Amino acid sequence: MIEKLAQLHPEIALFAATCIVMVLGLAKSSFWRGMSVWVTGLGLVAALVLSFFSPQTDGMLPNSLPYLKAMIAAIGLMILPLMGGTVDRWYERTVGRGASFDPLRVTRGEFYAFYLLSLMGVMLCVTADDLIWLFLALELTSLPTYIMVAMSTPRLRSQEAGVKYFFLGALSAATFLYGFAMLYGATGTTQLQDIAIHFRTEGMGLIGTLGLVMALIGVSFKIAAAPMHFYTPDVYQGAASPVSAFLAFAPKAAGFVVMIQLLSTVGWGWGEHGIALPEALRITLWVIAAITMTFGNVLALLQSNAKRMLAYSSIAHSGYMLVGLLVGPGQGPIAGNGLGAAMFYLLCYGVMNLGAFAVLACLEKRDEHGELVEIETVEDLRGLHAARPGLAWAMTLCALSLLGMPPLLGFWGKLGLFTSGISAGEIGLVVIMGLNSAVAAFYYLRLVRAVMLDTRDEDMDRPALTDMFGRRVAAGLSAVGVLVVVIWAGQLQAASDHATEVNPRIRQFNERVVEAEETPVIESIARND
Amino acid sequence: MVKAGPVTDRAPIDSPDSGVRPRMLLAFDQSAYLPILLIIMMAIAFAVGNIGVSLILGPRREGDVKSITYESGMNPLGTARKRFNVRFYILAMTFLVFDVEIIFLYPWAVSFAQIDPRSPDGSLFLGRVLFFLFTTVVAYVYAWKKGVFRFD
Repeated sequence: MIEKLAQLHPEIALFAATCIVMVLGLAKSSFWRGMSVWVTGLGLVAALVLSFFSPQTDGMLPNSLPYLKAMIAAIGLMILPLMGGTVDRWYERTVGRGASFDPLRVTRGEFYAFYLLSLMGVMLCVTADDLIWLFLALELTSLPTYIMVAMSTPRLRSQEAGVKYFFLGALSAATFLYGFAMLYGATGTTQLQDIAIHFRTEGMGLIGTLGLVMALIGVSFKIAAAPMHFYTPDVYQGAASPVSAFLAFAPKAAGFVVMIQLLSTVGWGWGEHGIALPEALRITLWVIAAITMTFGNVLALLQSNAKRMLAYSSIAHSGYMLVGLLVGPGQGPIAGNGLGAAMFYLLCYGVMNLGAFAVLACLEKRDEHGELVEIETVEDLRGLHAARPGLAWAMTLCALSLLGMPPLLGFWGKLGLFTSGISAGEIGLVVIMGLNSAVAAFYYLRLVRAVMLDTRDEDMDRPALTDMFGRRVAAGLSAVGVLVVVIWAGQLQAASDHATEVNPRIRQFNERVVEAEETPVIESIARND
Repeated sequence: MVKAGPVTDRAPIDSPDSGVRPRMLLAFDQSAYLPILLIIMMAIAFAVGNIGVSLILGPRREGDVKSITYESGMNPLGTARKRFNVRFYILAMTFLVFDVEIIFLYPWAVSFAQIDPRSPDGSLFLGRVLFFLFTTVVAYVYAWKKGVFRFD
C-alpha cells in the first residue's frame, strides 16, 4: 500500500494546495486572497517536480506516470496565468474602494480549488488500474469543470453553459458507467489487468464488446468526439475564455488516458505485431474518428464567432488524436507508435490551443449594455496587427501551429499521427485526416488574415487591452512554446513513446497464450500469472 | 479481485465447470437473499398497511383548511417563485459531511481492533483515517469562514 502511495505524490501535492487555497480565498486581507493564485502555482510546481520521480506502476501502462503527469502539471501551470483574476474582478474592485468584505460573495478560492481538483482528477486517471477508480477519477475531472464554467463570468450565458454541460456530462457518465457495469458483468472483475487476461483467455463475448463500446462512447464526451460533441461550441462560448482553454485540455487529457486504459485491455500487446484491436472496436473507433474530424472542421468553416470556431477545431483535433488510439502502440519505433503520437499531440495541442484562447481573453470591448466583455468574433480581431502587434503575432503563430505549419509545434505532433497511421495500414483514415487538415487551413488562415492583413474600419471601437497582465503572459508563453518546444520535440516524443509501452507482464502473458493456443489449459496460466 | 454476486462455498467460482459465464452468475446461493426479500416484504407491508389503516380509521372532513397545500404547515402566501434563504440547506449539508464521516469511521474502528497498533500496518491504517478526518476539518473551516454558521 505504501508503494502505491508513492505513485500518488503529485496528486497529494495538488490536494494539499487545494486545501490551502480553499481557505485562503476567504481571507479578510486582500493580500492573502491574492496569494491564492500563487499557492495554486506552487502546488502545480510541486506536482510537476514530484511527477518526474513517479515509480513504475503495475497498471496497463507502467511507464506512463512521469511523462503524462508532468505534462498535465506543465500545461496546468501554463493555463494558470490565464486563469488569474478571471473571477471576482468586479467585487475585488468594490472592496478596494472601501466596501466591507463579505466572504459569501468571493469565489476566487473555490475557483482555484476546483482548477486543482480537476487537474488532480486527470492525474488520477493516469494512475488508475481499476474500473471504479477510473470512474471516480473521471468524475473528479468533470464535476469541478461544470461549476467553473458557470461561475467563470457573471453573465447568464455562463450559467446556461454550465447547466448544459452538467446535464450532458451526467448523460455521458451514465453511459460509460453502464459500459463499466457490463465489463464487470462479462469478466467478474474490476481490475483492468484481470479484465485483459480474461478477455484473452475466454474471448470478449457479446457483453464485453458491448460494454467496451458503450464505455468508449461515454468517454468520448470528455474528449468532445462524436457522438457526444454537441455541447462543445455552446459551452466554450458561454464560459470565459480561460475556462474554455482549460476545458479544451483537462477533460480531453483525462478522456484520452481513460480510452487508452480501456483499449489496452483488448488487443494491444497481442497478435503478431501487437496492433490487433478487435474488429468491432476498430470499426467503432474508425467511424468516431472520421466523423469527429470531418464534423468539427466542416462546422468550424461556418463560424463567425472565434470561440465557437476554436470549439469546433477542438472537436476536430480530438478526431486526429483518435487515429493514434486506433493504431495502438505499434511495433515500437517512434514512427509507428500511435499512442505515443497521440499523447505527444495532446501536449502540442495544450500548448498551442492555450495561445489562441489567451489572445481572445486579452482583449475586451463594450457590449450593448456598456459593460466590458471579452471579444468573441473574428470581426473583432480585424486589424489587430496595427493596434497590438504582439497579440497579433501570438494569434498568428498559434493558428498556424494548430493548422500544422511545418516549422511549428503542431506540425511535429501531426507528423507522428500521420506516420503511425500509415505504418499501421490505416490508409483510408489517413487520407480523411489529410483532407481535413486541408479544410482546416481555410478557417485558421481566416483568423490569421483577420489579425494580420485586414484593416480596421474607422468607426469601429478599438478593442481594449485587459488589465490582467497574466493573460498576456499566457499568450506569450504559448506563442514562445509553439516555436521553442520544437527544439525538444524529439526528446518529448521519445518520452511519450516510452510512456505508452504496454505492460510487459501482459505481453508475456500473451506470448504464453499464443504458445499454448492449442492446449486446453489456458485457465491455469491465467491463475498462475 | 472482486467477484460477481454473493458467491458462497456451495458454488466455488474456481471450480472447473465455471467456465461458462451465465452459469457462474446464476450459481449463487439463493437463500442468501432471504433477508433482503424479508425487508422488501416488510417495507411493502408497512407502506400498504399504513395507507390501508388510515383509509379505514381516518376521519373524513372537508373544508378550507383541509384543501390548502400544506394542511398542517405554513400558510401558502404570495408567489412560490421568490428567493428564499438557503442557509438551512447548507447547514444540513455540513451536517451530512460529519454524518458520512461517522459511517466511515465505524467500520474502520471495528477492523482497527484486529490490527496490532504498533505494527507499520497499524500506523498506516491510523494515518489514513486521520487524513480523512483532516479533509473533513478543512471542509468545516471553509464553511465556517464562508459564514455558513452566521445567522443574522
